[in-house]
Amino acid sequence: MDEPALIHSAQGGDLEAFNTLVLHYQDALFNTALRILGDEDLAADATQNAFLSAFKNVTSYRGGSFKAWLMRTVTNACYDELRRRKRHPTTPLEPEDQDGDEMDSPRWLADPNLTPDQQAEADELEHAIQHCLDHLPDEFRSVVVLADIQGLDYAEVATALHAPLGTIKSRLARARLRLRECLQGFVELLPAAFRLQEERS
Amino acid sequence: MNPRDLELLSAYLDGQLNPSDSARLEVRLAADESLHSVLSDLRSTRGLLRQLPFRRAPRNFTLTPQMARLKPPAPRTVPVFRFATALAAFLFVISIAINGLVSFSAPNLASAPFPAAMGAGAPQSVPQESALATLAMLATQSPALPPAADNLTETPAPRAMSAALMDTETPTPEAESKSNAPQVQNSQPVNNQTSSPVPLDLEILFGILAFGFGLTAWILPHANESNLRKKWNKK
Repeated sequence: MDEPALIHSAQGGDLEAFNTLVLHYQDALFNTALRILGDEDLAADATQNAFLSAFKNVTSYRGGSFKAWLMRTVTNACYDELRRRKRHPTTPLEPEDQDGDEMDSPRWLADPNLTPDQQAEADELEHAIQHCLDHLPDEFRSVVVLADIQGLDYAEVATALHAPLGTIKSRLARARLRLRECLQGFVELLPAAFRLQEERS
Repeated sequence: MNPRDLELLSAYLDGQLNPSDSARLEVRLAADESLHSVLSDLRSTRGLLRQLPFRRAPRNFTLTPQMARLKPPAPRTVPVFRFATALAAFLFVISIAINGLVSFSAPNLASAPFPAAMGAGAPQSVPQESALATLAMLATQSPALPPAADNLTETPAPRAMSAALMDTETPTPEAESKSNAPQVQNSQPVNNQTSSPVPLDLEILFGILAFGFGLTAWILPHANESNLRKKWNKK
């Protein structure tokens, strides 16, 4: 994929070129939104809004990491959703299976390479981490999602969140410490790998 | 754990410390067990976050033209046509203004000396629509007047016209009295054409060009948008 050429075409109004970029980055943006919002439907909406906003403002992209620039649009979309949720709190609905029972982990999200026990263990770990992420302040959560889950470097995170590098470093350190404290409350739920790491520490 | 040490440990974990800070921290880590413990905590937390499964997007988030409310870019020729429209319209307006000014200023200049020049012999009811026409008429009545007329109008047209009229008309008083009114009427259209600095044909051409260019500049983007939307809808 010739990213600079596609971006240049998109800036000229070429929707097909922009959609090629969408297909390349949609998983990353969706995952970011999912970890910040903790809800798949809201994450999908935020991702769609982010891409729409990105297309309308693609001419404002002036170089640098395009992924970081897209991450800024999706974190902004997530912040909009979080503000809306605070104004109008709702009870999240779990996905339902064919019998109408709530599913903790929808089938399309399941990893086919894992045994049922391993899948259950992975689900527990994911739930525990997501729970702790959800309890972080918004600005801490976005930093830790971008740096530790999406793997952006500090400069990219600073670009994405439009914050100074020092602020990013500080928030990331404090977010990691808070997550650690939160996860220690889930020792029995956490898989053996994490308990071993905890024992070593 | 003070916040400064926490930041140092977190940055050290990510390899974001410069070599000197990193070396100093490593010395402290070797001596301070609690620091080492916090570093291990941060490392395992980061490891856990990295273990989170990477979810595939539940659907494609590609945009449709309708979603994007996309307005296709105008063809490159449109600005050229817009400029041509503006230029032609400007020339059209200017040519009208110049011709209008000339036709207004000529009677004003001629109106003051006109009655004196006419004297008692000139009828009061002679129309003053065109000073040039009147001057042409006067040229046929009195050979002494043309120099005065030249001073007033500063255009060679009346002299040429009066000469033409003198060639065609008989200089006898009887003929003058008979042909006086028709001369004025016949000479007006000739004056209107010859006194306009911008020819009427050119004026009309500017108007047509302004309209044509404007219409093209308006139609081109619409036709282009229609074609693009048909193309997108097929996809």
